[in-house]
Amino acid sequence: MKEQILQTLHDLRSYALEKQIDAAFFLHEEESCLMRCANSAISLNTNEQLLRLEITAYEGRKRASFELITALGNMEEMQQGVDRAAEMVKHAQPLDYQPTMPAFSETCSDESGFDADLAGITNAARLEFFNQAVAGLEADEITLSGIFSSGVTTLAQISTCSEHCQYFKTTDAQISIVLSHVTYKWELLAEQSARQATDLDPSALHCDLAFLLEQYQQDTPCQLALGRYDVVFGSAAIAELLDIMNYIGFDGGSMKRGFSFISEDQVGQKVLSNRFTLIDDPTCLDTFPFQRDFMGMPRTPFPIFANGVFRSFTWSQDDADEFGTAPTGHTVMHKSLVLAGGNTQVSTLKELVDLPHSNDLLYIPSLHYLNIVNPSTGLITASSRFGALLLTKDGSVVVPYNVRITQSLLDIFGNRLAWLSQAQVVNNTSSSYGARNPTAIVVPAFVQVNDLEISHTNASY
Amino acid sequence: MRKQLQQQIERLKTAGASYVDARWYPVEETEHLMMWNGNLKNAAASRESGVGIRVLYQGAWGFSASSDAANLTALFNKALDNARVAAQRCTFPVHLAEKAPVHGSFSSPNRIDPFSIPLADKVGFMKALDERLNRPGVSQRVCELSFTRKQIVYLDSEGSEIEKRIIDLFPSMQVMGLDSHGETHGRKFSPTLAGATRGWETIDPALFNAQAERIVQEMNEVRVAETCPTDMRSAILLPGIMYLQTHETIGHALELDRILGYELAYAGGSFVTLDDFGTLRYGSPKLTVRADATLPNSPGSFGYDDDGVPAQDNLLIDQGLLVGAINGRQMVAEANARAGKTLFPGSSGANRATAFYRAPIERMTNINIDPGNDGSLDEIVRNTEKGIILDGDKSWSIGSNREQFHFAVDIGWLVEDGAVTRVVKNATYRGETVPFYHSLSAVGDRSTWELLSVNNCGKGQPNQIMQLGHGVPVCRFDQVTIGE
Repeated sequence: MKEQILQTLHDLRSYALEKQIDAAFFLHEEESCLMRCANSAISLNTNEQLLRLEITAYEGRKRASFELITALGNMEEMQQGVDRAAEMVKHAQPLDYQPTMPAFSETCSDESGFDADLAGITNAARLEFFNQAVAGLEADEITLSGIFSSGVTTLAQISTCSEHCQYFKTTDAQISIVLSHVTYKWELLAEQSARQATDLDPSALHCDLAFLLEQYQQDTPCQLALGRYDVVFGSAAIAELLDIMNYIGFDGGSMKRGFSFISEDQVGQKVLSNRFTLIDDPTCLDTFPFQRDFMGMPRTPFPIFANGVFRSFTWSQDDADEFGTAPTGHTVMHKSLVLAGGNTQVSTLKELVDLPHSNDLLYIPSLHYLNIVNPSTGLITASSRFGALLLTKDGSVVVPYNVRITQSLLDIFGNRLAWLSQAQVVNNTSSSYGARNPTAIVVPAFVQVNDLEISHTNASY
Repeated sequence: MRKQLQQQIERLKTAGASYVDARWYPVEETEHLMMWNGNLKNAAASRESGVGIRVLYQGAWGFSASSDAANLTALFNKALDNARVAAQRCTFPVHLAEKAPVHGSFSSPNRIDPFSIPLADKVGFMKALDERLNRPGVSQRVCELSFTRKQIVYLDSEGSEIEKRIIDLFPSMQVMGLDSHGETHGRKFSPTLAGATRGWETIDPALFNAQAERIVQEMNEVRVAETCPTDMRSAILLPGIMYLQTHETIGHALELDRILGYELAYAGGSFVTLDDFGTLRYGSPKLTVRADATLPNSPGSFGYDDDGVPAQDNLLIDQGLLVGAINGRQMVAEANARAGKTLFPGSSGANRATAFYRAPIERMTNINIDPGNDGSLDEIVRNTEKGIILDGDKSWSIGSNREQFHFAVDIGWLVEDGAVTRVVKNATYRGETVPFYHSLSAVGDRSTWELLSVNNCGKGQPNQIMQLGHGVPVCRFDQVTIGE
């Protein structure tokens, strides 16, 4: 298949060169499987095999693209796509900057993220994973939901600038398992990310769910009082906050367009807590990394925050072209964010519950429907979801209804950041909108932020 | 191709499938143009084709799709295999609601196919608009045109065969500017869906020009305005935010799959229970809501859904009382069985998939609020002692069961003693869904009613983006928390 993909790209390049068309080709092939559970049944079991080809034509400062979802052997249709992109670019309008075409100086092939065993995982294995993860935990009123999403993603590139091409192939799996109560409507979540079959561990999910279930079955949910709380965020919540910071924080293009709470003159300045060290680390295989970006630029560990000091914006090629700066190897479908762990020795929820604390701690594992209220101030809002707990200072554990937090990222990761766990976990942040793009962020298992205001508390789930 | 699909459907029936359908997209085309600060940043088009197969085996769904239709036998076999495995974990076997075989076709009404317009003309329109937006105070200008044109052939094992040809068009423009603190504020415009068609003819340059002047002016007023106070006031929601309020806290809450718990792993559930139908007072008697897929000019109208069920106009909330849900064929039997009575007589024709490679799920059509008898916007303002007019969706966040929400808007106008006093920036409001709709104290008349489209409603796993519409009047809610 690899040879066929690369040959197709070379053939398309030759076709474009014959017609004197400057073009770049980006091929995305996915084989996706998703088993979805709800109400303790498999509610949907899907399989999609899709091939996308994006052709971008260039003419001076003009640029236009045409994308096909087609089959690999449809060369005639692909050539028509080249013609279509070339026709479009004639009628496009020149940009006020010179866009850079991908020009690969050497051929690059990276299949380090591919695992044949994960690629070949069967329907039966997926079902067995679900069964093991919730063995003995389901009941009449406690039902299983969740997904087991896995797939193979192949990306390949070439342009008329050179005969060199880039090829990336990776496998991934994203598992989320939810136990919910039919009447009370609480929901408990355990998640796992895998890049190889040996990462799959249903017993770990079972352990997490069993512990949460014990808390939720023993207690009556309560509505928390409004006010300020010391909050411990779980890994899913931390990853989501970093994901949004990626958009309204350190992305250079967003900053230039007024969608960032960090300004250009803050490079080199202390912006967040000195406990906060964030890096884009393409050497971390758990993040499904790109070793080179889509312009052919080698990617190496890239510090974003070091001990709270803002080190650099990230720049895609197009934003760098537009705003007259240098790209930073971030013309990619996703970054490889890693938030450094701290010193606190807590790696499981059980250990968190047992951790001595002088104030009540509100544990929020996940954030639901996070949105940006004001990008300029980093103000976001979201509700808690999936198994929040109030760990009281007297040692008891209370189950709260969901709450809403409306806070600035500058506060959450600023001076109110109390501690980060030393233990880190991989949080799979993939969505399945559009083309398959496995994404994960490595974060501390837990992060405590003091004195955060809870602006709304639910009276039910 | 149709004959081959029919043969494969019959083959799977023989192999034990209780139901099979195929959606073949001979072609789906899109075009997206985005001009940002005068730069044509995105001039993109796409073309795709493929087949999606849905199989019911012993009450469990299997789905398979491919952009390569060369081996239909393997594709159909995969869907059946997926369903067979799903049947090993099946708690309530799917029993599809009754449907008579349908032979039909649907073409969305349009006079001018947007794909027939030369690219240069479209770019020229955007360029002229961009120049009009390029005024003092404006730091960012964004003009977008998106078009889709698709042909869908649907066949099922019950003898239905439907062909749909649908064109949709999504134009918009937005301006942003900085205030004295360096904070960004924006104002945007998407046209109301007026008239009986939905082609290129609906783009009225004069309207866009006039609206360009308005959004620049209003954005500049926001830039120099004071911050919205934290307060409790009557909130008068204009259609530019009322559509989203309706979408998030009525539409999604009334999707039957969410109510039954089929979205708990991702999008969430609903505070609505089956016991609530016919009993829950969702809002004040001024609130009447319908799901109307029969409007001619909206992306929420599609002739037949992806179960092959004809488009319908159904009441969801009748003078405050919850009476209906948004559902396809697959949830009806389970909901009625769980309720112990017939709550839903059949499909409401709302099962849709975003593409050939996704399985259909319950989706909104046009979820509309009927106009009321409380007059024009001016009359509602005159009858408001202490309020705020809100418009423009900026941020939205809703609880996992749609029970509470927080919205930020582009602009607010304070109202004191029946008159607008001043503009405020960073306006927000929040509330709890049912108490909020019970506080509905005024519903504007037909003059205030606008039909707006939604181009990006996300739901489901694998994730799906859907297009739909909301027709809403100006609505006033009392005792609303703002400014948090």
